[in-house]
Amino acid sequence: MEYMVKLKLLKKGAQKEIKKAKDLKELDRIFRKYLGKRGKITQILRSLKKLKKEKRVKIGKEANLLKKIIEENIREKAEKLKEKVRAEIFKKERIDVTAPGKKVLPGHLHPLTQVQRRVEEIFQSMGFSVIEGPEIETEWYNFDALNIPKEHPARDFWDTLWLKPKNQKLLLRTHTSPVQVRYMEKNPPPLRIIVPGRVFRHEATDASHEVNFYQIEGLMVDKDISIANFKAIIQKLFKRFFEKSIKIRLRPSYFPFTEPSFEVDMTCLTCGGKGCSACQRTGWMEMMGAGMVHPNVFKAVGLNPRDWQGFAFGMGLDRLAMMRYKINDIRLFYGGDLRFLKQF
Amino acid sequence: MVFSYNWIQSFFKKKLLKPKEFAELLTTHSFEVSEVKRVGKDFVLDVDVLPNRGPDCFSHIGIARECAALTKSKIKYPKSKIIEDKGLKAKDFIKVEVKDQKACPRYTARVISGVKVAPSPKWLKEKLKVCGIRPINNIVDIANFVMLETGQPLHAFDGEKLEGPKVKPSASYGASKKIIVRFAKKRERIVTLDEEKYDLNDNILVIADAKKPVAIAGIKGGIIPEIDRETKIVVLESANFNPQVIRRGSKKLGLKTDASWRFEHGIDPNLTEFAINRAAFLVQKIAGGKIAQGLIDFYPKKVYPKKIKLNLAYVDRLLGVKISKKEIKNIFRRLNFPLYENSSRSILVEVPTFRLDLSLPEDLIEEIGRISGFQKIPAILPLVSLIPPKRNIDRFWENLSRDILKEAGFSEVYNYSFISQKMATIFEYRPKNLMEIENPMSLEQKYLRPSLIPNLLKNVKENMKNLPASRLRSGQWQAGFKEIKIFELGKIFRKDTPSKIFEKRSLTGLIFKKEKKAENFYELKGICDLLLEKMGISNFWYDTYKPTPEDSKISIWDPKKCAEIKVDHQEIGFLGEVSLKILEDLKIFSAKGKQIGNVVVFDFDFEKLQKLACEEHEFLPISKYPAAIRDLAVLVPLEVRVEEILNKIEITGGSLVRDVDLFDIYTGEEIPEGKKNLAFHIIYQSDIKTLSSREIDKIHQKIIKALEKEKEWEVRK
Repeated sequence: MEYMVKLKLLKKGAQKEIKKAKDLKELDRIFRKYLGKRGKITQILRSLKKLKKEKRVKIGKEANLLKKIIEENIREKAEKLKEKVRAEIFKKERIDVTAPGKKVLPGHLHPLTQVQRRVEEIFQSMGFSVIEGPEIETEWYNFDALNIPKEHPARDFWDTLWLKPKNQKLLLRTHTSPVQVRYMEKNPPPLRIIVPGRVFRHEATDASHEVNFYQIEGLMVDKDISIANFKAIIQKLFKRFFEKSIKIRLRPSYFPFTEPSFEVDMTCLTCGGKGCSACQRTGWMEMMGAGMVHPNVFKAVGLNPRDWQGFAFGMGLDRLAMMRYKINDIRLFYGGDLRFLKQF
Repeated sequence: MVFSYNWIQSFFKKKLLKPKEFAELLTTHSFEVSEVKRVGKDFVLDVDVLPNRGPDCFSHIGIARECAALTKSKIKYPKSKIIEDKGLKAKDFIKVEVKDQKACPRYTARVISGVKVAPSPKWLKEKLKVCGIRPINNIVDIANFVMLETGQPLHAFDGEKLEGPKVKPSASYGASKKIIVRFAKKRERIVTLDEEKYDLNDNILVIADAKKPVAIAGIKGGIIPEIDRETKIVVLESANFNPQVIRRGSKKLGLKTDASWRFEHGIDPNLTEFAINRAAFLVQKIAGGKIAQGLIDFYPKKVYPKKIKLNLAYVDRLLGVKISKKEIKNIFRRLNFPLYENSSRSILVEVPTFRLDLSLPEDLIEEIGRISGFQKIPAILPLVSLIPPKRNIDRFWENLSRDILKEAGFSEVYNYSFISQKMATIFEYRPKNLMEIENPMSLEQKYLRPSLIPNLLKNVKENMKNLPASRLRSGQWQAGFKEIKIFELGKIFRKDTPSKIFEKRSLTGLIFKKEKKAENFYELKGICDLLLEKMGISNFWYDTYKPTPEDSKISIWDPKKCAEIKVDHQEIGFLGEVSLKILEDLKIFSAKGKQIGNVVVFDFDFEKLQKLACEEHEFLPISKYPAAIRDLAVLVPLEVRVEEILNKIEITGGSLVRDVDLFDIYTGEEIPEGKKNLAFHIIYQSDIKTLSSREIDKIHQKIIKALEKEKEWEVRK
C-alpha cells in the first residue's frame, strides 16, 4: 500500500503548493514538479508497468484520478491568477481617446486626376473607349478639318498659341476635338470614344481662365445616333458623377464642327434650380458645348455623311472638379501648393 | 450686342412678352441673353448673338424676326417711301468704279443735296444712346441708326469734299465726283475720323476718290470728306464687302469697329438697297434736302435665294423624335421661308438670302429643333451592339504608377507646360532644342517645358515659403515642413532638329529635406525600386552617371551623386541630387546661409518605362522551412561599391542565400581613415528542408572567406 500513501501525500503537497502559488510562473513550476515529463505523478504512472496487473489497474486508476484532480486544480488556480492580473491591468491602464492619433503621411492624387478617373470610369461603363492625342497639333487638325476655315470669325473663339517658326503651322491644341478627326481617320464607325487631355489658350489668366486646362471630348457615331441619345447619355453622366438626379437642358449654340449645335445646361447644384448667386439667378449651370457631327467633318476624314451620324461634345474637366470640390479659383490646380493638394 | 426692348417692340402691333420672359424665350430658342437692364423707360438686352447668325441678327430687325418666328406674331417692317427729285441725277454727280468685285460684290450709293446738318432729334439720340452709340449729328446718327436697325453698315461722305477726275475748283457743284473701290497702294496713308493715322498696304481695301483714299472700306471713314455743319451734299454709301478682306484688313491695322465686325461675319448683299433707301428717307425727313434721282448700284452678280431639299425621315432620325410634316411646314412658315412640295417624304425649302448660315439639310434640322424646342426631345438610350471599350494601356500604367507613388507618400502636382527664359538659362537648355512659343502670354511662358524638373523645383521653392506659416495654423503640417515629396506625370517637349519634334511623357518626382544626408538619395532610390518592381520591370540597375558632352543635364545633377537607371544597356531615367549651383540660382538655398538641405530627383522617360513594363507576374512558392539570419560586417575601402559586396555574397552563397539586406553603412569614429563599415543581414533558407546550424555556418564561413580574399577587405567577427 506504499503507493497509495505516496499518492495521498502527493495530493496533499500539491494542493497545498497550488493554494500558495502567487503567480503563473510559480504555478508553472508546480505543474512541472508534479505533472511535467519528470514530474512526480508522471514518474509514478511510468513505474506502474513494473507492477502486477491487478495492482497496476488499481493504482493506475488512482494515479490517473490524481493527475486529473491536480490538472483541474492548476487550471482553476491559473484562471484565478489570470483574472487577478487582468483586474490589475484594467485598474492601471487607460487610453485617453481624445489624444490625437499618430500622424500617417499619405500621398495625394491631384484632384484633376481623380475627377478624370471618375469620368473615364462612367463612360467606360457605357462602352466608350478612352483615347488620347498629341498636345502639339497642326493647323489642319485643330481647325481646317473641323470646318473652321482660315479668316473665319469663328477662329476667334479659340485664341491660339502658335509655335515658332510660324510657317510650320504648328500650334498647341486649343481643344480636344482634333482627336475626333485623328480617330475617325483610322477607325471606321460605329464608335464610342472620350478624349481627355490638356488644351491651351492664349488667354489672360484669372480665377476662371487658365493658359492650360483640361477637356473631355466625347464622340459617338453610328447609323442613327440622335440628339435624344445624346441627352440620355449626358444625363447618365451627370447623375453618376454628382450622385444626384439632375435635369439638363439644351440651348441653341454654334460650333463649326457640329450641326445642330447646342450648349448643355444642368440644374444648379447649389440652389437646385431656384436661382442663386452661383448660377447668376438662372437656376442653370453651363456644362458643355455639343452637337451632331457636321457633315464636313465626316467628309474631312473620308467618310460619307449619308452613311453616318452621331454626337460630339466637349466639357471642361477643371470646371467639373471645381464644382465637385467647390473650388473657386482654377489657378489652384496648377500652382503646386501642397496646402491645396494635400486636401484631396 | 445690346438691343433696345422698345425698339424691338416697335416692329409689332401685339405687345411683346415682358423683358425677362422675352429674354428667357430667346435664351432657350435662339441666343443666350446675358443681361436685362432697365434704362429709363426702356430695357437693354445684352444678347450673345451666335457668330453664324451675325449676318441676320446683328440688327433689331433680325431679333424681331426671331421673335416673330418664336411667338407666331406678324412683323411690321418700317416703311421708307422715297421721293426722288427729278431735277437731280445721282449719276451726274458721282461715278462709282469697283476695281475688284470679289472684294466688293455690291456698292450702292445715293446723293442727297441741300441737307441741313444739325443735332439729331431727341428720339433718335435716345435710341443710339440706349445701344451704346454716341450721337454726333443727324446725318451720322441716321447712318448708325440704320445699321442698328438693319445690320447694314452705312457711310456718309461730304460730297463736295470728294475729288473728281478733273480739278476745277470753281465748278465743284455739278461736276462729276469719283468713288473708286480698290486696294490701297504702297505708302498710301489715311487719317481716320478719330484723327488716327494709318499706313495702308495692298491688302487693305479702301474707298478712294480720284486722288486718294477717303475711307478704309467697311472699317472706318477718313477725316477729309467728314460730314460737318457746312455740309450740303451727302453721298451715302451702302456696300457689301468680302468678309475675309475686311477681317484681314482690320487685323492688320488693329482696328475693329461696329462696321468691320458686321462685315467680318458676312452680310446679305441684297440688304444694301433696303438700308440705303431707309437712310435716305430718314435724312430727308430729319435733315431736309433733295434726294437725287437714281440709285447708283454696282451689283454684277445678284445673289438669289437657294433651295434646300429636306428629307423628313432624316429630321426624325437626327433629332430622335417624331415631328410631323405639318409641324415642320409650320415652323418654316413662321420663319417666312417659302416651301415647295417635293414628295411625300421630303420638302423643298427656300432660304432667304439674309440667312447666310443655312446651306445644308442639317442646318434646317437645327431650325426645326430649336424653334419647336430642344426640350421636347426625350432622353433615349441608344440601341447599339454590346462592344466593350478598348482598354487604354497608357492609362493603365499611368494610373498604376501614380498610385504607387501616392501610396509611397508622394503628392501629385500639375504644372504649367511652359518654362521661362530665365529657367532656360539657369538649366542651360539650348534654345535650338526648345520649342518656342510664337505669341507667348508672358516671358514666363516662352518655351514648352523640355523636362518636368524646373517646375517641380519651383514647387519646392513655393512650398518652402508657405509651410512654416501654415504650421502655425494647423498642426498637421508639422511633419510636412521637414520634407516635400512631390511628383508629376506629364508631357515634355523637345526639338532635336528643326523638323524632329518630341512630345513624350515624363514621370518625375523629388524629395526635399532640410537635413543633407546621403540617406535621402537612398530613400528615393527605394521608391524607384518599388516603382520599377511594381511595374514588372525586374532587370534594372543603377549605373554611374556619365554626362555626355551635348547633354545640358550637366548642370542639373551633382555628377558624383547621380545614377543612370538602366535596363540592359538602355537608359530609362536618372536619379540624383540636384546640383548646388542650380539650387542657389533658384534661390532654394544660399551657399552662405546655414539652411543647406538637398533635393533628390528621379526623372523617368515614361514612354520607355511603359514599353518595358509587364503585367505578368508569377507566384513564388513559399518555403515551408524556417529561415535563419546571420549578420556580417565588413570593413572595406571607401570607393568599394555595395553592389560588389552583394554580388560576392550572392554568388558564393548560392541558392540557399534567400536575401541579403544592408542595414548599416558607417564611417567615422573607430573606423580607420579611408574605410567604411558595411553591415548585412544574410537570410538563409531552403525549399526542401530545415537547414541545420552546421550547414548554415558552413556557407557563412565560405562567404567570409570569399570576402576576405579581396585586398583590404576585412570581415569583422
